[in-house]
Amino acid sequence: MTHSTTDWDALAHRARWQRQARTAAITLFLVAVSIPIILPYFWMVMIAFTARTGGAEADTLWTACAVLVPITIGYAVAYQMLSGRARLAAAGLALALAIALLFVFLGDALHVNNFRFLVNPNVVEELRGKATAGAQFPWVWSAFFNSLVLATVQMLIVVAVSTMAAYYLSRFHFMGRAAFLQSLLILQAFPAITLVIPIFLIVYWVGLLNTLTAPILVITTLELPFFIFIMKGFFDAVPWDTEMSALTDGATRRQAFRMVVLPQVTTGMIAIGVFAFIKGWEEYVFVTGLRTGNSYWVMSTYLYYVREDVMGVDYGLVAAVSVMYVLPSLILYLFAQKYLTQMTLGGVKG
Amino acid sequence: MAEIELRNLSKAWDASVAVDGIDLTLADGEFAAILGPSGCGKSTTLFMLSGVYTPTGGEIRFDGAVVNDVEPRDRNVGIVFQSYALYPNMSVLQNILFPLRFKQVDDADKRAREMAELVQITPLLDRRPSQLSGGQQQRVALARALVKRPNLLLLDEPLSNLDATLRLTMRAEIRRIVTELGVTTILVTHDQLEATTMADRVICMNAGRIEQTGSAEDLYLRPDTLFVAGFIGSPPMNLLAVDPSAAGLRLDVDGPVTLGLRPELLRAAETGVPATVSHVEPMGRETLYTAQSELGQVRFLEPTARPNWAFGDMLKLAFDPADTLLFAPDGQRVPDAHATWKDLAHA
Repeated sequence: MTHSTTDWDALAHRARWQRQARTAAITLFLVAVSIPIILPYFWMVMIAFTARTGGAEADTLWTACAVLVPITIGYAVAYQMLSGRARLAAAGLALALAIALLFVFLGDALHVNNFRFLVNPNVVEELRGKATAGAQFPWVWSAFFNSLVLATVQMLIVVAVSTMAAYYLSRFHFMGRAAFLQSLLILQAFPAITLVIPIFLIVYWVGLLNTLTAPILVITTLELPFFIFIMKGFFDAVPWDTEMSALTDGATRRQAFRMVVLPQVTTGMIAIGVFAFIKGWEEYVFVTGLRTGNSYWVMSTYLYYVREDVMGVDYGLVAAVSVMYVLPSLILYLFAQKYLTQMTLGGVKG
Repeated sequence: MAEIELRNLSKAWDASVAVDGIDLTLADGEFAAILGPSGCGKSTTLFMLSGVYTPTGGEIRFDGAVVNDVEPRDRNVGIVFQSYALYPNMSVLQNILFPLRFKQVDDADKRAREMAELVQITPLLDRRPSQLSGGQQQRVALARALVKRPNLLLLDEPLSNLDATLRLTMRAEIRRIVTELGVTTILVTHDQLEATTMADRVICMNAGRIEQTGSAEDLYLRPDTLFVAGFIGSPPMNLLAVDPSAAGLRLDVDGPVTLGLRPELLRAAETGVPATVSHVEPMGRETLYTAQSELGQVRFLEPTARPNWAFGDMLKLAFDPADTLLFAPDGQRVPDAHATWKDLAHA
């Protein structure tokens, strides 16, 4: 047998080098493709704080990007390398640095005048004149409140109904169970917008047109199948043993559900709650589709009509409203992130 | 604590019969084990006893009263699962207290702590189940099942998830705790060691029926059926379809029979049935051999760690014919029937 002449060190060196190169290439690619997604958000915020007399200065935007993009990438790198409290500190530092640099480079351009709609109920009338707006345009807080009611009520219904339905589907064998599960998925295949006209007719006949109740019920109904399916995965993951154990320990079926099963699916309930809330918060199709006049305003319709102006769009105002519109769901995402990432764990078990 | 009686108990699902008419009586305070392969109906029986499943036929009696339609929560039965089934959202103490929440108990906390003391988990009371080892979770599950002073304790494969050493300690521990409390107990297991070491009486089940009930010794030395003969004992009994005329044996019964002989009752000797070693398995304390003989393929054990024989060795296997068991074609053992040598040369 001949001695091997393999140069193991060279092979190891090459493998290490290739691994590093691959990681670097993937990271670069991901950063590159995320820029077109993240930039609009940067711009939205920058326009909201800098635009005057209806226009935004391109110089300002590019300067802002030059400041914010490196800081964001720097933070992303720091996030990977740090953990726990250090991450929080890094976030604070990045934020402070961003604000400080923006002030240094764009000090004169920054202002909060675009946010005057928050305190001035008549901002749109002032912009367009009473004649065009017809004094019908609401104060933003009324739209905000309506959106909040819509999203919250619809979230509560979704969480309650899908939790109970999913428990039943997961634990009980009844006639047509398989067919029911399949039809849940088929329902998801129809684009909701194709249903606008029939739903409009139904809502009209039952006399709910121009009420906030109509979009709440319609959105809930359309979302339920998907959320039931997700919740069923969570219930399937709860071992049957613990439930049987609770029954022999003296609990009724209902007590076993409440005291033993439900605490094990709270993650799922929070996750679908967040998604349902955001769905309701961003809903546009059915809130515009199910009203014939200006009977109720929500944030999405408010944003749409702020944009409509005979004299050209006030981008500063639109951007400022957008910032306000995005904030609640963004905050919700940040707090619920932990639960949302677990959703797939429960969900895939179907 | 109660006397438990099953009369012609059955459970059928849509297409299949899980439990097929079993009769069984357990004295108050008795520790019995239901032993059988998976799918034999032992767990179904257990769930019928706990009340989770409703029987489709027959009766379950606790102290003489029929409890077929009594809800699980009203039966006062404690159960320990293979997975322990602890409530992950509660602390150890809350787990043990859980069964007492549904009863009017004044000294619940005291009772839970006493029970924790008995199963030796007092230092762990504030922990979550996820922070405990398998053995500790086992103890918590036992405490939770026993804290309400149940009529009947059910153990569903309680040791299967433990490693071998821990299993040995927990076997003795469970036996000690149960004996101390004097609670009627049914252990369900597929592990014959578990059944024979822990229980006073072993009930061997197969295909929804009880094959044999008796002490560990009864089942090992005097199996009633071919199934029990083949299931009890490791390595299993040699079960040989013998043609009496060919093998030099005279049988006490006529017709085709199966001859049963434990591997440890065969030994290499000067005279006997010629055989060729085809497989050698050192098992630590002893060595197991497989050999091809005139009687068919047989296994025999020798109590030496180092193998005395190697593949291909020719030897002669002797045994005491009085040790042989004979089984009729229907699988039943023919009582008091044995084989004898035709000529004394073999003996």
